[in-house]
Amino acid sequence: MKGTELKYEDLEGLFKGLLDKKAVDCLILPHKVGNNVAYMMATDKDRIEPPVPAIFAPSFGVNAANIVKGWTIPEKIGIVAKPCEIRAAVELIKLKQMDKESVLLISVDCSGTYKNQDYADHYGEIGDWVDSAKIEELKGKGIARREACEICDNRFADVGDIGIARVDGEKVLVAGITDMGVEALSALELSLEDKEIEREEEKEKIAADAKKKEEELPKASSVEELEEFLRDCIVCKNCRDMCPVCYCKECFFDQPLGNPVSGDLLNLAELRGAIAVPTNQLMYHLTRVYHVSTTCVGCGACEDACPKDIPLTRFYPVIAKKVQEIFEYVPGKDVEEPLPFVTYEEEELEDKLR
Amino acid sequence: MGEEAKGEFEPKIIGLTCNWCTYAGADLAGTSRKKYPPNVRLIRLMCSGRLDPMFVLKVLLNGADAVFIGGCHPGECHYIKGNFYARRRIAAIRTILKQFGLDNRVRAEWISASEGDKFARVMKEMAEDIKKLGPNPMRGKIL
Repeated sequence: MKGTELKYEDLEGLFKGLLDKKAVDCLILPHKVGNNVAYMMATDKDRIEPPVPAIFAPSFGVNAANIVKGWTIPEKIGIVAKPCEIRAAVELIKLKQMDKESVLLISVDCSGTYKNQDYADHYGEIGDWVDSAKIEELKGKGIARREACEICDNRFADVGDIGIARVDGEKVLVAGITDMGVEALSALELSLEDKEIEREEEKEKIAADAKKKEEELPKASSVEELEEFLRDCIVCKNCRDMCPVCYCKECFFDQPLGNPVSGDLLNLAELRGAIAVPTNQLMYHLTRVYHVSTTCVGCGACEDACPKDIPLTRFYPVIAKKVQEIFEYVPGKDVEEPLPFVTYEEEELEDKLR
Repeated sequence: MGEEAKGEFEPKIIGLTCNWCTYAGADLAGTSRKKYPPNVRLIRLMCSGRLDPMFVLKVLLNGADAVFIGGCHPGECHYIKGNFYARRRIAAIRTILKQFGLDNRVRAEWISASEGDKFARVMKEMAEDIKKLGPNPMRGKIL
């Protein structure tokens, strides 16, 4: 990777430079709002605030990829976000919901996040960033990271076009991952050198921990348990709306067949004798999990969006991962790798059909 | 729907079959007077690639006991590659259903138009398997 080490305070100049040198026309990045962080979209370089600590804050509000879904105009947008958000953006490019040429994806190392309301409530204890010791300490106090982050094994800034990795001594390694990324950094007249950071060991540890946590999660393993798991669902479809990779222009469950009203509803009830209302609760979730099964990045936005606090992380990312395993597919890893459902091999999967 | 004793239970199987192969294979089974259990109701698709996994979900959620999917042998699709895509989709939806113990209610087979025998055999096997499994747990639920 071609990169350069920068001090935290130099990052402001980096982002301003991207706008100034027209590497991007606008930039989405987190900024501090009171005790919390939120995304802003800047076109004027003078409005960029010092990005540290906001870009490292362990707080998850919305998946930034969801904001730029449908960005098909030629103007170029830069997104500074956590790896899961960048991976979702890569999937959206593959799904043709964004133009590859008009987005510059900048991933930032992530330590796992707290729900944004938890983060604001406990800002005094959590602080601007966390490390593994701090995470354990906070857990002791009953402040836990989001389940999606506990089971996540893709926390390093090695996805997208540019990665911002934290290194010792309050410094970051800014590296171009793709040609577009290197080009953007070169435009800023940064002296780029061949840089590698040795993090394999840490990565393996995170993956092992994540796998263990995932196995420990309670999961519905029968129809009855699934029914119980989704008992409180009111089919508000917030999980769909906040999901970065659920992208249909018109969702089946907004159409008459998926969302029957009035006479259609009566017909359905007459057909079956009795139906649960709101309708299609189970059908909705099973269909949605199939639709996102190959592209789900496991960001947990669905769970955060649920007004009934259904722990959807135990459903969507967990099941999606099983499907991704059979195709040996890691969503968001490589923009050139085709989506599993648009490709095939002549001999495969025969043991999964019967 | 009452609780039927397992022995008397007659499963309802919905078959989603390709027009060019399995559907014709079923026809051949009929015209050559092969015997197979009457549990299957066929729905003709123009290709197994037309199969939206939502069909499978809908069939199961509406209380049918099993889904049979029939397509052309890999490499022999009338539309060149429809069944290759179908195979990926079926594998994915079965993986999802497996989490809830429903995957053994979905079976896909490649049956050509000349394989009336195979169609009859698969139907027989499937009816037996599903009888052993018992009724779909979704049946009778208020869903």
